Amino acid sequence: MQPTRVLQALRYRRLRLTTKDVNKGFYKGTRTGSMGRHTKHGGFIVEWDKVRTYVCPPLDGFKLTPFVTRNMPRTFGQYETKLGPKDPAMYLARWKSENGLD
Amino acid sequence: MAAAAMRPSMGALGRISSSTPAVALRPLTQTASLSTTAALLKRHKYPGARDNKDHNKKRGESALRRTGTRWRLSMSDEPLPRPVPRSELPAIETDPDHGLWDFFPNRTTVANPPEEDAKHGRSWSVEELRHKSWDDLHRLWWVCAKERNRIATGNWERNKRRLGFGEAEATGRDREVRATMRAIKHTLTERMYTWQDAVKEATNDPEINLSGDGPAFTPRDYLEEGEAGVAEEDQVAEAAEETAEKTEPATTAAIPDPTTIPASKAQAEAPRL
Repeated sequence: MQPTRVLQALRYRRLRLTTKDVNKGFYKGTRTGSMGRHTKHGGFIVEWDKVRTYVCPPLDGFKLTPFVTRNMPRTFGQYETKLGPKDPAMYLARWKSENGLD
Repeated sequence: MAAAAMRPSMGALGRISSSTPAVALRPLTQTASLSTTAALLKRHKYPGARDNKDHNKKRGESALRRTGTRWRLSMSDEPLPRPVPRSELPAIETDPDHGLWDFFPNRTTVANPPEEDAKHGRSWSVEELRHKSWDDLHRLWWVCAKERNRIATGNWERNKRRLGFGEAEATGRDREVRATMRAIKHTLTERMYTWQDAVKEATNDPEINLSGDGPAFTPRDYLEEGEAGVAEEDQVAEAAEETAEKTEPATTAAIPDPTTIPASKAQAEAPRL
């Protein structure tokens, strides 16, 4: 969330934008997302289909670690086109060479 | 003398019958027929009258007369339980494969010493991760998350016990893990955008049919050959379908990998782009 460019030029370049600095309708939030809904009586109902769950995949037999040995220099790709790894033609060519089914 | 002997029990009787104040106020020496309680309760019924309640919660208590308190003391004659020595307690059964064990480097140490923390390699580069499948990247992400948990456990223990050194080693290790996680996100984002561009480009490709009817990919060689190699192509297609069926369960991830996405899904998403 950023203030508009006019405000950035004035005083909000160094200060954070809070709900007191702007008019109604500004929702700053905590970047956490909604986990339920508010009732008209002021309560809150947790909707469990909105609550995030994180499922760890099975890691049995998985041998990769977060680190690579320093004996191996950092590798960089060699690409012919300017787009490099983002070239859709290369993507399609690989898809075709892998039988074009998946 | 008899009245003096009754005094200590008067407090006790008052305690027993203290559930209602009116009953507690009744003189205990009088019989029920001479009771004036009902008449006392009937007094002052006009609006604004003071209530008939005894506002002194300690009425009748006297240290000189040893009446005791009006409320029941929380004491009993039951003997207190004696604590069992820890050596005689039964062993606490825990799950040997509990997931929380992943927060520690092993079963005996709570945190690695700084020398062990410093022994780590460099992070993965994006180019190295481009050749990994979705499943590998997904699992590597979780391996990184668990490694960060272990580092955080070590930091917490170091602060708690004031062990001193080791923050620089832990920070350096954490930096490499975060660089790997950043590279994973870079790889997947790049793959997603490349796939979207490839779907756009496939609409102009005569070899590719995104309508959903018939095979998605028809090689140009096959179009030029015509009817000559139909039988061979059928066999190839059947074999390819079998392999596709075999690989499909592995590729049903939560978020489809562009490289491993089935053709049907790609066609379904194509019009939205």
